[in-house]
Amino acid sequence: MTTRRTPRRAEGQSERSDLDLFGGGLVSDVARSEPPPPPIEYAEPDGYPGETAQSAVAVSILTQTARDVIEGAFIPLWVRGEISDFKSHRNGHWYFCLRDSTAQIRCVVWKRDQRGIPAAPDDGMQVAAFGRLTVYAARGEMQYAVTKMEAEGDGLRRKALEITRARLEADGLLALERKRPLPRFPRVIAVVTSPDGAALHDIVAVLHRRVANVRVVVVPCAVQGESAPEEICRALDRVNRWAGADLVIVGRGGGSREDLWAFNHEQVARAVAACHVPIISAVGHEVDISICDLVADYRAPTPSAAAEAATPSRTELVGDLRKLSLRMSGAARGTVRWHTDRLRHLARDLSSCSAEQISTRQTKLETIAGRLHALSPLATLSRGYSVARAADGATLGSAAAFQDGMPFDLIVRDGTVPAQVRGTPREQAS
Amino acid sequence: MTFEERLARLEQIAAELEGDVELARALALFEEGIENLRAAAAELGNADTRVQQLIERADGTFEVETRE
Repeated sequence: MTTRRTPRRAEGQSERSDLDLFGGGLVSDVARSEPPPPPIEYAEPDGYPGETAQSAVAVSILTQTARDVIEGAFIPLWVRGEISDFKSHRNGHWYFCLRDSTAQIRCVVWKRDQRGIPAAPDDGMQVAAFGRLTVYAARGEMQYAVTKMEAEGDGLRRKALEITRARLEADGLLALERKRPLPRFPRVIAVVTSPDGAALHDIVAVLHRRVANVRVVVVPCAVQGESAPEEICRALDRVNRWAGADLVIVGRGGGSREDLWAFNHEQVARAVAACHVPIISAVGHEVDISICDLVADYRAPTPSAAAEAATPSRTELVGDLRKLSLRMSGAARGTVRWHTDRLRHLARDLSSCSAEQISTRQTKLETIAGRLHALSPLATLSRGYSVARAADGATLGSAAAFQDGMPFDLIVRDGTVPAQVRGTPREQAS
Repeated sequence: MTFEERLARLEQIAAELEGDVELARALALFEEGIENLRAAAAELGNADTRVQQLIERADGTFEVETRE
Protein backbone atom coordinates (compact mmCIF):
# COMPACT_ATOMS: atom_id res chain seq x y z
CA MET A 1 0.00 0.00 0.00
CA THR A 2 2.90 2.26 0.56
CA THR A 3 4.41 2.04 -2.89
CA ARG A 4 2.88 2.99 -6.13
CA ARG A 5 3.87 -0.25 -7.76
CA THR A 6 2.32 -2.85 -5.55
CA PRO A 7 1.62 -5.40 -8.29
CA ARG A 8 4.95 -7.17 -8.05
CA ARG A 9 4.55 -9.18 -4.90
CA ALA A 10 7.10 -11.21 -3.08
CA GLU A 11 7.30 -14.93 -3.69
CA GLY A 12 5.20 -17.15 -1.46
CA GLN A 13 2.47 -14.73 -0.69
CA SER A 14 -1.01 -15.99 -1.04
CA GLU A 15 -2.48 -16.21 -4.41
CA ARG A 16 -5.70 -14.87 -3.10
CA SER A 17 -4.37 -11.36 -2.74
CA ASP A 18 -3.03 -11.40 -6.24
CA LEU A 19 -6.36 -12.54 -7.49
CA ASP A 20 -8.18 -9.90 -5.56
CA LEU A 21 -5.87 -7.16 -6.70
CA PHE A 22 -6.17 -7.88 -10.32
CA GLY A 23 -9.55 -9.50 -10.43
CA GLY A 24 -8.65 -12.75 -12.08
CA GLY A 25 -5.38 -14.59 -11.77
CA LEU A 26 -3.05 -12.63 -13.97
CA VAL A 27 -0.22 -14.33 -12.21
CA SER A 28 -1.07 -17.92 -12.88
CA ASP A 29 0.67 -21.06 -11.67
CA VAL A 30 1.73 -21.75 -15.22
CA ALA A 31 3.35 -18.36 -15.49
CA ARG A 32 5.39 -19.09 -12.32
CA SER A 33 6.73 -22.45 -13.35
CA GLU A 34 10.08 -23.13 -15.00
CA PRO A 35 11.51 -22.12 -17.43
CA PRO A 36 11.47 -18.49 -16.28
CA PRO A 37 8.36 -16.90 -17.69
CA PRO A 38 8.62 -13.84 -19.80
CA PRO A 39 8.00 -10.77 -17.68
CA ILE A 40 4.34 -9.97 -17.51
CA GLU A 41 3.61 -6.41 -18.36
CA TYR A 42 1.04 -4.98 -16.02
CA ALA A 43 -1.03 -2.09 -16.99
CA GLU A 44 0.27 0.88 -15.05
CA PRO A 45 -2.69 2.12 -13.02
CA ASP A 46 -3.31 5.75 -12.48
CA GLY A 47 -2.06 6.46 -8.95
CA TYR A 48 -2.09 3.64 -6.39
CA PRO A 49 -4.88 1.27 -5.42
CA GLY A 50 -7.21 2.94 -2.95
CA GLU A 51 -6.13 6.42 -3.87
CA THR A 52 -9.56 7.24 -5.10
CA ALA A 53 -13.03 5.87 -4.50
CA GLN A 54 -12.88 4.34 -7.96
CA SER A 55 -9.74 2.35 -7.18
CA ALA A 56 -10.89 1.32 -3.67
CA VAL A 57 -9.39 -1.94 -2.51
CA ALA A 58 -11.33 -4.81 -0.94
CA VAL A 59 -11.40 -5.20 2.87
CA SER A 60 -9.49 -8.46 2.50
CA ILE A 61 -6.72 -6.58 0.73
CA LEU A 62 -6.51 -4.17 3.60
CA THR A 63 -6.29 -6.90 6.25
CA GLN A 64 -3.94 -8.98 4.13
CA THR A 65 -1.62 -6.07 3.66
CA ALA A 66 -1.80 -5.21 7.37
CA ARG A 67 -0.88 -8.80 8.07
CA ASP A 68 2.11 -8.67 5.73
CA VAL A 69 3.33 -5.47 7.30
CA ILE A 70 2.90 -6.67 10.89
CA GLU A 71 4.40 -10.09 10.29
CA GLY A 72 7.32 -8.47 8.56
CA ALA A 73 7.81 -5.94 11.34
CA PHE A 74 7.94 -8.27 14.35
CA ILE A 75 10.28 -11.13 14.95
CA PRO A 76 8.86 -13.83 17.28
CA LEU A 77 9.26 -12.71 20.88
CA TRP A 78 8.27 -13.37 24.50
CA VAL A 79 5.38 -11.34 25.86
CA ARG A 80 4.18 -11.39 29.45
CA GLY A 81 0.70 -10.88 30.79
CA GLU A 82 -2.26 -12.46 32.48
CA ILE A 83 -4.41 -15.15 30.88
CA SER A 84 -8.13 -14.47 30.52
CA ASP A 85 -11.07 -15.94 28.59
CA PHE A 86 -9.21 -19.18 27.95
CA LYS A 87 -11.12 -21.57 25.69
CA SER A 88 -10.10 -24.89 24.26
CA HIS A 89 -12.09 -25.03 21.06
CA ARG A 90 -13.70 -28.12 19.57
CA ASN A 91 -11.28 -27.85 16.67
CA GLY A 92 -8.40 -28.44 19.12
CA HIS A 93 -6.96 -24.91 19.08
CA TRP A 94 -6.69 -22.80 22.24
CA TYR A 95 -7.95 -19.22 22.34
CA PHE A 96 -7.42 -16.67 25.09
CA CYS A 97 -6.50 -13.08 25.88
CA LEU A 98 -3.23 -11.92 27.26
CA ARG A 99 -3.62 -8.69 29.16
CA ASP A 100 -2.11 -6.23 31.56
CA SER A 101 -3.78 -3.29 33.30
CA THR A 102 -4.22 -1.22 30.16
CA ALA A 103 -4.07 -3.49 27.14
CA GLN A 104 -4.91 -6.88 25.77
CA ILE A 105 -4.17 -9.01 22.78
CA ARG A 106 -6.11 -11.98 21.40
CA CYS A 107 -3.99 -15.10 21.36
CA VAL A 108 -4.19 -18.49 19.75
CA VAL A 109 -2.22 -21.70 20.21
CA TRP A 110 -2.69 -23.93 17.20
CA LYS A 111 -3.20 -27.55 18.00
CA ARG A 112 0.12 -28.56 16.42
CA ASP A 113 1.99 -26.07 18.61
CA GLN A 114 0.54 -27.33 21.88
CA ARG A 115 3.15 -30.03 22.34
CA GLY A 116 5.63 -27.31 23.25
CA ILE A 117 3.46 -26.27 26.20
CA PRO A 118 3.22 -28.53 29.27
CA ALA A 119 -0.46 -27.88 30.02
CA ALA A 120 -3.28 -25.57 29.07
CA PRO A 121 -3.07 -22.36 31.12
CA ASP A 122 -5.85 -21.25 33.48
CA ASP A 123 -7.46 -17.84 33.60
CA GLY A 124 -5.60 -15.55 35.97
CA MET A 125 -2.20 -17.19 35.43
CA GLN A 126 0.71 -14.85 34.90
CA VAL A 127 2.58 -16.17 31.91
CA ALA A 128 5.28 -15.39 29.41
CA ALA A 129 4.23 -16.44 25.93
CA PHE A 130 6.47 -16.82 22.92
CA GLY A 131 4.92 -16.26 19.53
CA ARG A 132 4.47 -13.99 16.57
CA LEU A 133 2.08 -11.17 15.93
CA THR A 134 -0.25 -11.51 12.99
CA VAL A 135 -3.64 -10.37 11.80
CA TYR A 136 -6.73 -12.51 11.86
CA ALA A 137 -8.33 -11.31 8.67
CA ALA A 138 -11.79 -12.70 9.26
CA ARG A 139 -12.20 -10.39 12.22
CA GLY A 140 -9.76 -7.72 11.31
CA GLU A 141 -8.03 -8.26 14.64
CA MET A 142 -4.44 -8.51 15.66
CA GLN A 143 -3.70 -11.96 16.96
CA TYR A 144 -0.72 -13.36 18.78
CA ALA A 145 0.10 -16.92 17.67
CA VAL A 146 1.78 -18.57 20.64
CA THR A 147 4.12 -21.59 20.40
CA LYS A 148 5.76 -21.66 23.85
CA MET A 149 4.55 -20.63 27.26
CA GLU A 150 5.90 -20.53 30.79
CA ALA A 151 3.88 -19.65 33.85
CA GLU A 152 5.05 -17.88 36.96
CA GLY A 153 6.16 -20.35 39.63
CA ASP A 154 6.37 -23.11 37.04
CA GLY A 155 2.59 -23.29 37.23
CA LEU A 156 2.09 -24.98 33.87
CA ARG A 157 4.48 -27.81 34.63
CA ARG A 158 2.95 -28.32 38.05
CA LYS A 159 -0.47 -28.41 36.50
CA ALA A 160 0.70 -30.87 33.85
CA LEU A 161 2.16 -33.14 36.53
CA GLU A 162 -1.06 -33.08 38.51
CA ILE A 163 -3.15 -33.90 35.47
CA THR A 164 -0.88 -36.75 34.36
CA ARG A 165 -0.67 -38.14 37.86
CA ALA A 166 -4.44 -38.06 38.28
CA ARG A 167 -4.95 -39.87 34.99
CA LEU A 168 -2.44 -42.59 35.81
CA GLU A 169 -3.95 -42.96 39.25
CA ALA A 170 -7.44 -43.29 37.79
CA ASP A 171 -6.13 -46.17 35.68
CA GLY A 172 -4.62 -47.81 38.75
CA LEU A 173 -1.06 -47.48 37.48
CA LEU A 174 0.24 -45.96 40.71
CA ALA A 175 -1.14 -48.73 42.94
CA LEU A 176 1.47 -50.25 45.23
CA GLU A 177 0.09 -53.74 44.54
CA ARG A 178 1.31 -53.36 40.97
CA LYS A 179 4.93 -53.17 42.07
CA ARG A 180 6.77 -56.36 41.24
CA PRO A 181 9.76 -57.60 43.25
CA LEU A 182 13.09 -57.29 41.49
CA PRO A 183 14.87 -60.54 40.60
CA ARG A 184 17.74 -61.14 43.00
CA PHE A 185 20.11 -62.40 40.32
CA PRO A 186 19.26 -60.75 37.01
CA ARG A 187 21.28 -62.20 34.13
CA VAL A 188 20.41 -59.67 31.46
CA ILE A 189 19.68 -56.05 32.37
CA ALA A 190 18.27 -53.83 29.61
CA VAL A 191 19.28 -50.20 30.10
CA VAL A 192 17.01 -47.74 28.29
CA THR A 193 19.00 -44.53 28.10
CA SER A 194 21.29 -42.44 25.94
CA PRO A 195 24.20 -44.58 24.70
CA ASP A 196 26.61 -41.70 25.34
CA GLY A 197 25.24 -40.47 28.65
CA ALA A 198 26.76 -40.45 32.12
CA ALA A 199 23.95 -42.71 33.34
CA LEU A 200 25.11 -45.69 31.30
CA HIS A 201 28.69 -45.19 32.36
CA ASP A 202 27.71 -45.06 36.05
CA ILE A 203 25.51 -48.14 35.81
CA VAL A 204 28.19 -50.24 34.13
CA ALA A 205 30.83 -49.13 36.63
CA VAL A 206 28.66 -50.12 39.59
CA LEU A 207 27.68 -53.47 38.11
CA HIS A 208 31.26 -54.28 37.36
CA ARG A 209 32.21 -53.64 40.95
CA ARG A 210 29.33 -55.51 42.48
CA VAL A 211 28.60 -58.68 40.72
CA ALA A 212 29.80 -61.28 38.30
CA ASN A 213 28.28 -62.47 35.07
CA VAL A 214 25.65 -59.90 34.27
CA ARG A 215 24.97 -58.75 30.73
CA VAL A 216 24.05 -55.12 30.16
CA VAL A 217 22.10 -54.54 26.96
CA VAL A 218 21.80 -50.87 26.07
CA VAL A 219 18.61 -49.88 24.30
CA PRO A 220 19.54 -46.46 22.96
CA CYS A 221 17.15 -43.51 22.92
CA ALA A 222 17.23 -39.75 23.31
CA VAL A 223 16.52 -38.77 26.92
CA GLN A 224 15.92 -35.08 26.37
CA GLY A 225 14.56 -32.87 23.66
CA GLU A 226 11.38 -32.99 21.69
CA SER A 227 11.81 -36.52 20.36
CA ALA A 228 12.73 -38.02 23.74
CA PRO A 229 9.26 -39.16 24.93
CA GLU A 230 8.57 -40.99 21.71
CA GLU A 231 12.04 -42.52 21.58
CA ILE A 232 11.85 -43.74 25.17
CA CYS A 233 8.45 -45.32 24.48
CA ARG A 234 9.79 -47.01 21.37
CA ALA A 235 12.85 -48.32 23.22
CA LEU A 236 10.66 -49.78 25.98
CA ASP A 237 8.43 -51.38 23.39
CA ARG A 238 11.53 -52.87 21.79
CA VAL A 239 12.59 -54.39 25.12
CA ASN A 240 9.18 -56.06 25.39
CA ARG A 241 9.26 -57.43 21.87
CA TRP A 242 12.83 -58.63 22.22
CA ALA A 243 11.93 -60.42 25.49
CA GLY A 244 15.57 -61.09 26.32
CA ALA A 245 15.96 -59.11 29.55
CA ASP A 246 14.91 -60.07 33.04
CA LEU A 247 15.22 -56.55 34.43
CA VAL A 248 15.04 -53.05 32.92
CA ILE A 249 16.59 -49.79 34.07
CA VAL A 250 15.18 -46.65 32.41
CA GLY A 251 16.60 -43.23 33.13
CA ARG A 252 19.27 -40.60 32.72
CA GLY A 253 21.67 -38.53 34.79
CA GLY A 254 20.87 -35.20 36.36
CA GLY A 255 19.93 -32.12 34.39
CA SER A 256 17.66 -29.12 34.37
CA ARG A 257 13.98 -29.57 34.95
CA GLU A 258 13.41 -29.21 31.26
CA ASP A 259 16.05 -31.85 30.48
CA LEU A 260 14.26 -34.34 32.72
CA TRP A 261 10.82 -33.47 31.45
CA ALA A 262 10.45 -36.44 29.09
CA PHE A 263 10.19 -38.69 32.14
CA ASN A 264 7.06 -36.84 33.24
CA HIS A 265 5.37 -37.54 29.96
CA GLU A 266 2.18 -39.54 30.27
CA GLN A 267 2.96 -41.85 27.35
CA VAL A 268 6.40 -42.61 28.77
CA ALA A 269 4.84 -43.44 32.13
CA ARG A 270 2.37 -45.76 30.43
CA ALA A 271 5.19 -47.46 28.52
CA VAL A 272 7.04 -47.98 31.82
CA ALA A 273 3.89 -49.48 33.33
CA ALA A 274 3.52 -51.77 30.32
CA CYS A 275 7.01 -53.23 30.71
CA HIS A 276 6.84 -57.04 30.77
CA VAL A 277 9.62 -57.47 33.33
CA PRO A 278 10.40 -55.57 36.55
CA ILE A 279 11.62 -52.06 35.82
CA ILE A 280 13.68 -49.56 37.80
CA SER A 281 13.31 -45.85 37.12
CA ALA A 282 16.40 -43.72 37.71
CA VAL A 283 15.92 -40.12 36.66
CA GLY A 284 18.35 -37.38 37.59
CA HIS A 285 19.56 -36.81 41.13
CA GLU A 286 18.10 -37.60 44.54
CA VAL A 287 15.66 -34.70 44.58
CA ASP A 288 14.14 -35.21 41.16
CA ILE A 289 10.99 -37.30 41.31
CA SER A 290 9.39 -38.00 37.98
CA ILE A 291 6.09 -39.53 36.97
CA CYS A 292 8.08 -42.52 35.72
CA ASP A 293 9.40 -43.04 39.22
CA LEU A 294 5.83 -43.38 40.49
CA VAL A 295 4.92 -46.00 37.93
CA ALA A 296 8.09 -48.12 37.95
CA ASP A 297 8.46 -51.16 40.20
CA TYR A 298 11.36 -49.47 41.96
CA ARG A 299 12.48 -45.87 42.10
CA ALA A 300 16.22 -45.35 42.30
CA PRO A 301 17.46 -41.85 43.21
CA THR A 302 20.32 -42.04 40.67
CA PRO A 303 21.47 -44.38 37.88
CA SER A 304 24.24 -45.71 40.16
CA ALA A 305 21.68 -46.49 42.84
CA ALA A 306 19.61 -48.30 40.22
CA ALA A 307 22.54 -50.58 39.44
CA GLU A 308 22.96 -51.24 43.15
CA ALA A 309 19.30 -52.05 43.59
CA ALA A 310 19.40 -54.32 40.56
CA THR A 311 22.10 -56.64 41.82
CA PRO A 312 23.37 -58.20 45.06
CA SER A 313 26.75 -56.99 46.26
CA ARG A 314 29.76 -59.24 46.27
CA THR A 315 30.18 -58.73 50.03
CA GLU A 316 26.62 -59.77 50.63
CA LEU A 317 27.10 -62.94 48.59
CA VAL A 318 30.36 -63.81 50.33
CA GLY A 319 28.49 -63.45 53.63
CA ASP A 320 25.77 -65.79 52.38
CA LEU A 321 28.32 -68.41 51.38
CA ARG A 322 30.05 -68.15 54.72
CA LYS A 323 26.80 -68.65 56.61
CA LEU A 324 25.92 -71.69 54.53
CA SER A 325 29.37 -73.13 55.07
CA LEU A 326 29.02 -72.78 58.85
CA ARG A 327 25.56 -74.32 58.85
CA MET A 328 26.74 -77.26 56.82
CA SER A 329 29.83 -77.98 58.89
CA GLY A 330 27.92 -77.56 62.16
CA ALA A 331 25.24 -79.97 61.04
CA ALA A 332 27.72 -82.50 59.67
CA ARG A 333 29.72 -82.44 62.89
CA GLY A 334 26.55 -82.96 64.87
CA THR A 335 25.69 -85.98 62.77
CA VAL A 336 29.13 -87.52 63.20
CA ARG A 337 29.03 -86.94 66.93
CA TRP A 338 25.63 -88.51 67.22
CA HIS A 339 26.78 -91.60 65.39
CA THR A 340 29.96 -91.83 67.46
CA ASP A 341 27.99 -91.69 70.66
CA ARG A 342 25.62 -94.31 69.42
CA LEU A 343 28.53 -96.54 68.52
CA ARG A 344 30.01 -96.18 71.98
CA HIS A 345 26.73 -97.12 73.56
CA LEU A 346 26.44 -100.10 71.30
CA ALA A 347 29.96 -101.21 72.16
CA ARG A 348 29.19 -100.96 75.84
CA ASP A 349 25.79 -102.59 75.68
CA LEU A 350 26.25 -105.34 73.18
CA SER A 351 28.94 -107.78 74.17
CA SER A 352 28.12 -109.73 71.01
CA CYS A 353 29.41 -106.94 68.88
CA SER A 354 32.85 -107.88 67.66
CA ALA A 355 35.80 -105.63 68.29
CA GLU A 356 36.58 -105.80 64.61
CA GLN A 357 33.20 -104.44 63.56
CA ILE A 358 33.54 -101.59 65.99
CA SER A 359 37.02 -100.86 64.83
CA THR A 360 35.88 -100.69 61.16
CA ARG A 361 33.15 -98.21 61.95
CA GLN A 362 35.50 -96.23 64.15
CA THR A 363 37.95 -95.93 61.25
CA LYS A 364 35.19 -94.77 58.94
CA LEU A 365 34.14 -92.13 61.41
CA GLU A 366 37.70 -90.94 61.75
CA THR A 367 37.94 -90.57 57.99
CA ILE A 368 34.82 -88.44 57.99
CA ALA A 369 36.03 -86.42 60.93
CA GLY A 370 39.29 -85.87 59.08
CA ARG A 371 37.41 -84.38 56.14
CA LEU A 372 35.38 -82.16 58.39
CA HIS A 373 38.59 -81.01 59.96
CA ALA A 374 39.35 -79.08 56.81
CA LEU A 375 36.55 -76.72 57.77
CA SER A 376 37.47 -73.57 59.55
CA PRO A 377 35.57 -74.03 62.86
CA LEU A 378 37.44 -77.26 63.56
CA ALA A 379 40.71 -75.85 62.41
CA THR A 380 40.09 -72.98 64.75
CA LEU A 381 39.77 -75.40 67.66
CA SER A 382 43.13 -76.97 66.84
CA ARG A 383 44.74 -73.54 67.12
CA GLY A 384 43.76 -73.40 70.77
CA TYR A 385 40.31 -71.87 70.79
CA SER A 386 37.40 -73.67 72.38
CA VAL A 387 33.70 -73.70 71.78
CA ALA A 388 31.17 -73.60 74.59
CA ARG A 389 28.06 -75.63 74.00
CA ALA A 390 24.84 -75.78 76.04
CA ALA A 391 23.28 -79.07 77.13
CA ASP A 392 20.98 -78.95 74.10
CA GLY A 393 23.95 -78.62 71.76
CA ALA A 394 23.52 -74.91 70.98
CA THR A 395 26.73 -72.92 70.62
CA LEU A 396 27.14 -70.34 73.36
CA GLY A 397 28.61 -67.45 71.49
CA SER A 398 28.18 -64.47 73.80
CA ALA A 399 28.36 -63.59 77.48
CA ALA A 400 24.62 -63.04 77.49
CA ALA A 401 24.06 -66.74 76.76
CA PHE A 402 25.53 -67.76 80.13
CA GLN A 403 23.89 -67.63 83.54
CA ASP A 404 25.44 -68.11 86.95
CA GLY A 405 25.64 -71.79 87.80
CA MET A 406 24.71 -73.00 84.33
CA PRO A 407 26.43 -76.24 83.25
CA PHE A 408 27.86 -76.40 79.73
CA ASP A 409 30.37 -78.35 77.65
CA LEU A 410 33.64 -76.90 76.52
CA ILE A 411 34.72 -78.41 73.21
CA VAL A 412 38.47 -78.33 72.85
CA ARG A 413 40.80 -79.77 70.25
CA ASP A 414 40.88 -83.30 71.61
CA GLY A 415 37.69 -83.68 73.58
CA THR A 416 34.87 -82.27 75.65
CA VAL A 417 35.24 -80.76 79.13
CA PRO A 418 32.15 -80.55 81.35
CA ALA A 419 32.05 -77.06 82.86
CA GLN A 420 29.85 -74.76 84.91
CA VAL A 421 29.52 -70.98 85.09
CA ARG A 422 30.78 -69.44 88.32
CA GLY A 423 29.65 -65.89 88.95
CA THR A 424 27.72 -63.48 86.75
CA PRO A 425 28.98 -63.18 83.16
CA ARG A 426 30.23 -59.70 82.25
CA GLU A 427 29.59 -58.33 78.81
CA GLN A 428 32.32 -56.35 77.18
CA ALA A 429 31.25 -53.08 75.74
CA SER A 430 31.80 -53.44 72.00
CA MET B 1 24.75 -74.31 37.31
CA THR B 2 24.17 -70.60 37.82
CA PHE B 3 25.22 -68.86 40.99
CA GLU B 4 21.59 -68.58 41.96
CA GLU B 5 21.02 -72.31 41.51
CA ARG B 6 24.14 -73.13 43.51
CA LEU B 7 22.97 -70.92 46.35
CA ALA B 8 19.57 -72.63 46.34
CA ARG B 9 21.21 -76.08 46.31
CA LEU B 10 23.43 -75.10 49.24
CA GLU B 11 20.35 -74.05 51.20
CA GLN B 12 18.79 -77.46 50.56
CA ILE B 13 21.96 -79.27 51.57
CA ALA B 14 22.32 -77.31 54.79
CA ALA B 15 18.67 -77.88 55.67
CA GLU B 16 18.91 -81.61 55.02
CA LEU B 17 22.13 -81.93 57.01
CA GLU B 18 20.46 -80.18 59.91
CA GLY B 19 17.74 -82.82 59.96
CA ASP B 20 17.93 -86.50 60.79
CA VAL B 21 20.21 -87.97 58.17
CA GLU B 22 22.14 -91.22 57.63
CA LEU B 23 25.88 -90.99 58.02
CA ALA B 24 26.68 -91.97 54.44
CA ARG B 25 24.09 -89.54 53.11
CA ALA B 26 25.49 -86.80 55.37
CA LEU B 27 28.93 -87.33 53.96
CA ALA B 28 27.68 -87.25 50.37
CA LEU B 29 25.72 -84.09 51.00
CA PHE B 30 28.64 -82.51 52.74
CA GLU B 31 30.97 -83.23 49.86
CA GLU B 32 28.48 -81.89 47.36
CA GLY B 33 28.10 -78.80 49.52
CA ILE B 34 31.83 -78.17 49.65
CA GLU B 35 32.04 -78.51 45.88
CA ASN B 36 29.24 -75.98 45.39
CA LEU B 37 30.81 -73.58 47.84
CA ARG B 38 34.10 -73.69 45.98
CA ALA B 39 32.48 -73.17 42.60
CA ALA B 40 30.31 -70.31 43.87
CA ALA B 41 33.28 -68.58 45.50
CA ALA B 42 35.27 -68.95 42.28
CA GLU B 43 32.45 -67.41 40.29
CA LEU B 44 32.34 -64.41 42.63
CA GLY B 45 36.00 -63.79 42.00
CA ASN B 46 35.45 -63.76 38.27
CA ALA B 47 33.82 -60.43 37.43
CA ASP B 48 32.60 -60.09 33.89
CA THR B 49 30.16 -57.32 33.02
CA ARG B 50 29.48 -57.43 29.32
CA VAL B 51 28.02 -54.35 27.67
CA GLN B 52 26.03 -54.87 24.50
CA GLN B 53 23.55 -52.92 22.45
CA LEU B 54 20.14 -53.94 21.21
CA ILE B 55 19.60 -53.39 17.52
CA GLU B 56 16.30 -53.90 15.76
CA ARG B 57 16.57 -55.01 12.16
CA ALA B 58 14.24 -53.73 9.48
CA ASP B 59 12.24 -56.96 9.58
CA GLY B 60 11.52 -56.50 13.31
CA THR B 61 13.97 -59.13 14.53
CA PHE B 62 16.67 -58.27 17.02
CA GLU B 63 20.40 -58.42 17.20
CA VAL B 64 22.57 -57.92 20.27
CA GLU B 65 25.84 -56.36 19.35
CA THR B 66 28.82 -56.14 21.65
CA ARG B 67 29.96 -52.58 22.20
CA GLU B 68 33.54 -51.38 21.93
